[in-house]
Amino acid sequence: MFDFLLETLSVLILLSAFALMANKRISSYIRTFRIQSISIALAAGIMGIQSSQAEGRFDFLIVCLLIVALKVVYIPHLLHKTYANVKYKVEKDFILNIPIMIIICCGLVLFSYFALASIEGLGQGLLNLQFVNSVSVIWIGLFFMISRKKAIGQIIGFLVIENGLYIAAMLSTNGMPLVVDLGIFLDMLTAVMIMGLMVFRINDKFDSIDIDKLNHLKG
Amino acid sequence: MELFLPVLFQASVLLYLVGAIISVLLRKREKINNLSANLFCMAASVLGAAASIAKILWHEGPLGIFEAHSTIPFLSLVMKVDNISAFFLLALFILVFCVSIYSIGYISHYIGRRNVGLFNFLYTTFILTMILVFTSTNAIFFYICWEAMSVFSYFLVVFESEKSENQRAGTLYIIMTHLASAFILVAFLIIYSYTQSFDLYGSSGALPEMSKNIIFLLFLIGFGTKAGLIPLHVWLPHAHPAAPSNVSALMSGIMIKTAIYGMLRFVHCYLGIEQAWWGLLILTLGMISVFLGVAYALMEGNIKRLLAFSSVENIGIILIGLGVCFIAFAHEQVLLGSFALTAALLHTFNHSLFKGGLFLGAGAIQYSTQTKDMEKLGGLSKRIPVTAFFVLCFSLAISAIIPFNGFIGEWLTFQALFANILPGQTGIDILLILAVAALGLAGGLVIACFVKFFGISFLGLPRSEQALQAKEVPLTMNISMGLLACLCLFFGLFPLTILTLVDKVILSIGGSTVLGELRGEFFLLFYPLEIAGNEILPAAILGLVLVMIILTLLLLRMFGGKYIERKYGTWDCGYEALTSRMQYSATGFSKPLQIVFKILFRPSRKLSAEGEALCSSEPIKYTTTFSSIFEDFLYSPAAKAVKSFSKKTAFRIQTGSIHNYLIYILVTVLLLILYNRFF
Repeated sequence: MFDFLLETLSVLILLSAFALMANKRISSYIRTFRIQSISIALAAGIMGIQSSQAEGRFDFLIVCLLIVALKVVYIPHLLHKTYANVKYKVEKDFILNIPIMIIICCGLVLFSYFALASIEGLGQGLLNLQFVNSVSVIWIGLFFMISRKKAIGQIIGFLVIENGLYIAAMLSTNGMPLVVDLGIFLDMLTAVMIMGLMVFRINDKFDSIDIDKLNHLKG
Repeated sequence: MELFLPVLFQASVLLYLVGAIISVLLRKREKINNLSANLFCMAASVLGAAASIAKILWHEGPLGIFEAHSTIPFLSLVMKVDNISAFFLLALFILVFCVSIYSIGYISHYIGRRNVGLFNFLYTTFILTMILVFTSTNAIFFYICWEAMSVFSYFLVVFESEKSENQRAGTLYIIMTHLASAFILVAFLIIYSYTQSFDLYGSSGALPEMSKNIIFLLFLIGFGTKAGLIPLHVWLPHAHPAAPSNVSALMSGIMIKTAIYGMLRFVHCYLGIEQAWWGLLILTLGMISVFLGVAYALMEGNIKRLLAFSSVENIGIILIGLGVCFIAFAHEQVLLGSFALTAALLHTFNHSLFKGGLFLGAGAIQYSTQTKDMEKLGGLSKRIPVTAFFVLCFSLAISAIIPFNGFIGEWLTFQALFANILPGQTGIDILLILAVAALGLAGGLVIACFVKFFGISFLGLPRSEQALQAKEVPLTMNISMGLLACLCLFFGLFPLTILTLVDKVILSIGGSTVLGELRGEFFLLFYPLEIAGNEILPAAILGLVLVMIILTLLLLRMFGGKYIERKYGTWDCGYEALTSRMQYSATGFSKPLQIVFKILFRPSRKLSAEGEALCSSEPIKYTTTFSSIFEDFLYSPAAKAVKSFSKKTAFRIQTGSIHNYLIYILVTVLLLILYNRFF
């Protein structure tokens, strides 16, 4: 039952990454990111219920609450605020057109199946196919960073990579120590705050958050 | 003895360490600092030299002097002294002793102007790292010490850092030396991948034939660069003149010999010689270095650059000996091989004495006149007569003139070459005969070169105000040069003293004793060296020369009648007085040879007049330049290609666009994952 749910959620997370790729507007990126984070929080919650039933551990539930607080509520809110404060709102933002990008993403998923197929014991025990889905999310996150021109796209891409790494680690290790989780969240929070700040600075300097303009900085 | 010897070595190392620490602690009190650091070095050198001699004479096998193990894998500090290490250490300690006496006076001109404490710290640690290079038994530790040695000598080269030429010389030096270290490191890693050990005293049995060949080539490039082997010598004529003279004496006297030590330790002792072509390659490169080194030395007008090129030539002589030794060992002719190795080691030792002395002499010239340019010197023998006399001794020694030590090494090299010409190895024989010819030619050119060095700098009339105002050098500088000159004379007259030590060294690394072959009769003084019917007895030749001179004088007295002395104005070609502009200049002296070897130097000349016509009375400017083949055709194009490639690709690869950088990351990660999938 739990395994089935987790499997479904990992596919949902992958799907949300695809959906992110197909999004055109910055406000919809943020929404899709929120949906992905909700799925991760659900996965953490399911694992938390499972482990509290089996072993009496409740640290997963704490993690689940933290994910909801940070990734579902606080960070999307912060990003919305940042976006609202930036003057220029030219919407078309990506370098290739969407169908081609979706096809490349399919290629990336295939690649991660191919590359990880050699891992011994894949598909049995803890290290099952959810792992492949999560790794695909990492690639898609990186590709998302490449494909968007506006700085907020890069922040979202970074967060998606982080989500992918986090879910991969969580599903394959059956829960990291709580200290590690807390460390990861703290890092991410700092990174997002700094990046949000940088977006303002970039906007001040170049009157745009188009990162293509950053190559004027080259010496 | 077993207990006593390690303590001596430890005490010596410890004294260097204390010297280094004290020179940092006393950096505010420069005079005391200078005196104490050099005294510590001298004391340490005396202890070390005594210990090295005792080790070679009375102790068999490697002698452990220090051991410390760390928890970092492979990194353990185990210092051992075996006979080869002890021999090189002996040369180091003798030279350091003399140079430290010299530094007391020489560094005094830095006091108040520069950070003397820093200089002495670098000087002491530089010596210390060389000791560690000679004694380390672990490849990783050897590598670390080797790099530290390069870095400390780099700091010393750029010590007078405000001069842009010194900065350039230092940069060239550090680039070349790091490239060389990379080759050595790769060789160590290949060794490790087969033997799973970094032990230098271990066995190389697990290495396959092919990888031994590759390792040999890597070592040859790596150590060859440090030695100044042509065509890897480019750093040497820049770095040696840039360094303060006492440091260049150490660099030329002993630091470039660490490469010879490396070749012996890693190629001869560790890999074992199986292929004759290794020796042939070294021999050929040695021949090229001998000839080109002295040819370039001849053209130089800068005294320290001249000496640096002469070091290249001497390294060539040593490498000829080493090459012949490797060939003979590959053919399992142990006696002939040991004989050639004797020649190489002897010349290594002798060269460290007289070349050290020559650099100290150049330093004395620079101290008293503030110039290194020969065209501005002249007439110094009247102003600094003692220094002039010692420099003359060193010049005679390096030109292989008889009562001095340079002769013995070169003579043995010649004999080794002749002895190795055997029937039935046609190709090698031709090369050996060519090597004899190259050595002979170089010998002649060296004499020309040092006639120029001594004659232009010390004789005649002063060519500039600086030479006219030359000031006397401090006593300590003269004492140290005198000491080195005495040593040159001593080892020239009694070569058997040092040969006994060399013989023990060679016995310990699988050679056979050659002392029996170089048999003699009596006491040390009367020990002729005899090889295959060729006997030589330097002391007797010296005696004979003296007797001949006295006899000639007597005969002249007897048959030539009495001398009648007349005070008289000499015929002066109608001029009132001789001026310095009438004498040979440094360029003029070497001009005939520049024309003879035109193909090599590719000289170009330019006449330009400041006025309109060349025949007016306006001053005419004559400039002559010559090109050095390797810098013009090998290094400059290579440097230019790298530079233009970097300039072009810098903006292709580093576009400044974040998307590009992200694509690099994605592609790299995907490729790494793919690599993991397949391998």
